[in-house]
Amino acid sequence: MPNPFDLPMVGRTLRNLVSRPATRRYPFEVRAPFPGARGTLEFDLDTCVFCGICARRCPAAAITCVREDKYFAIEQLTCVACGACVEVCNKKSLRLSIDRRAVQTHADVGPAGERPGHQEWHKQDVVAPAPPLAENGATPAVGSPAQA
Amino acid sequence: MDGKAFLARVGEYQKDGWRLAIINATSILPTEDMEHGAFDVSWSFAKDGAFEHLREQILPGEEVPSISGLFGGAFLYENELRELFGIKVTGIAVDLQGQLYQTSERVPFAPSAIRARLEASGRAEHPVKKA
Amino acid sequence: MKRTIVPMGPQHPVLPEPLVLDLILQDEKVIDAVPTIGYVHRGLEAMVERVEYTEMGFVVERICGICSFMHGMGYCLGIEDIMGVEVPERARWLRLIWAEIARVQSHLLWLGLGADAFGFENLFMHCWRMREEILDIFEQTTGGRIIHSVNRIGGVRRDMSDSELVAIVARLERLGQAFEETARIFQTDPSIRHRLSGVGVLSREDAHAVGAVGPMARASGIGMDTRLSGTYLYDQLDFEPVVETDGDCLARVLVRVREVTQSIGLVRQMVDKMPKGEDHPLDTKVRGLPNGEAFIRLEQPRGEVIYYFKANGTKYLERFRARTPTFANIPAMIKLVKGCDLADVPNIILTIDPCISCTER
Repeated sequence: MPNPFDLPMVGRTLRNLVSRPATRRYPFEVRAPFPGARGTLEFDLDTCVFCGICARRCPAAAITCVREDKYFAIEQLTCVACGACVEVCNKKSLRLSIDRRAVQTHADVGPAGERPGHQEWHKQDVVAPAPPLAENGATPAVGSPAQA
Repeated sequence: MDGKAFLARVGEYQKDGWRLAIINATSILPTEDMEHGAFDVSWSFAKDGAFEHLREQILPGEEVPSISGLFGGAFLYENELRELFGIKVTGIAVDLQGQLYQTSERVPFAPSAIRARLEASGRAEHPVKKA
Repeated sequence: MKRTIVPMGPQHPVLPEPLVLDLILQDEKVIDAVPTIGYVHRGLEAMVERVEYTEMGFVVERICGICSFMHGMGYCLGIEDIMGVEVPERARWLRLIWAEIARVQSHLLWLGLGADAFGFENLFMHCWRMREEILDIFEQTTGGRIIHSVNRIGGVRRDMSDSELVAIVARLERLGQAFEETARIFQTDPSIRHRLSGVGVLSREDAHAVGAVGPMARASGIGMDTRLSGTYLYDQLDFEPVVETDGDCLARVLVRVREVTQSIGLVRQMVDKMPKGEDHPLDTKVRGLPNGEAFIRLEQPRGEVIYYFKANGTKYLERFRARTPTFANIPAMIKLVKGCDLADVPNIILTIDPCISCTER
């Protein structure tokens, strides 16, 4: 016959009454993420060569990469922060920051009606470099190989 | 498949104290000789460390006897075979009448359905969309 | 002789998981139960047609949040089995360490839910507070609290240094000491005993006949544990399956309570046994495409999980099947529910530790 006064939880309950709360007062106190946390995907346009491997490898199909248009887009709300794209990128253009994704709402629709969380980049065509000077200082004629 | 011989072998497993581990089916896509495809079904039994299988190739429309009389837990797997693959399992002890999975597409793993999905997506490279 | 049909789920105040059960009642007693699954059926097995085998691991580990690590590990083990890839030893130990920590996390989650279901909310908060410590360990070592994404075909993606491992063992042992008080509450508190003792008794013969797995079977006296087969380095560890004989809900609670302590001890054994040092490879490079089939069996927190793979030499698998332990325990649950009072149904459903995301994939 169990002893009705043997209540093991009583000690813990009394201790809880006099100690600090175990929970953090979120959102007024936010715990910093640990280093190495997989947070938000970030993209560096300058180093990207638009090979498209990241888009093919993404298990969530969150990346769009169009080589001809030099267009890159990430659907942040579709991305699951697995890091597969980060690993396969040869140019190290993608990285996972440790901060959690910013909260998006239905009001965060893009100017062309894109979904919330849609981020896109266009790489402008690089201006063609000036043709090299010929040995006598004159610029080469149009159609010469040096102007290719 | 030979239903009687199959049930006899399953009965042997049951008498020897084996446990039914999994009933699994794989769809085989239609080919020239099998224009409606087929199913590769395996019944797996486990006892202590051992793990053995019975494999049968089932054609669409072929009847497969239920083993739920011998192994009580088999009804869930057999209802799934019927609903996802369209395999005709007869005599299931607890027959859920097609209500187990509420999928929008009936029989999603039938060979014809898989073939249709593969053709529609062209083997689904991730869509390279224009801006 | 009035019969009523009470549809239970998918949303229900006491149900932890979106299970749909149509209960057929006569007066207050349940005489039959008809399960329907499909509320969270996402067709993840059909995704093998669209996602290449190298990335399918990420999809598989998202089948479920509680059992996530072992799904990812099981997937990688299967592909490695088909392709004959030899995983470096340290990576194999790391996987098992994470797997046992995941087991502790899963049992603490369930113990909390179980306490909440019979009204003991204080104990629920207490268990989940301890679970936060485990989730912090996961975030520090794998980058994610719930979805770890740390398994890769051929090995693991991240390392835990020797000093980190020693610190983790120390944290887990402190957790184990704090857990002893909670374990004592589960074992001796009269209100828990009153609600659970003698409820939902599954005899040993019935457990075997319906094919129960995991703690469900071990609470009925069957010493079944897939880790005993000795695969994946488990033969180097010294442990016994935790078995209780009563077969009621209380026995199932006690099995999981004791397994928490057992898993913490296993992590200590693994850290002692694994190769130390800095210059161990974390993974083996994988070349080529898989061709063949494999069955993989692991012991998830809820029981035996069976994965079936069929690959045909292309980038896409032909078939992937995950038969999760809850799928095998549902017939046992239906058997238990028949003949019990309506008020006991939530407790019984909870004691099989349902993970409906896993079941429905």
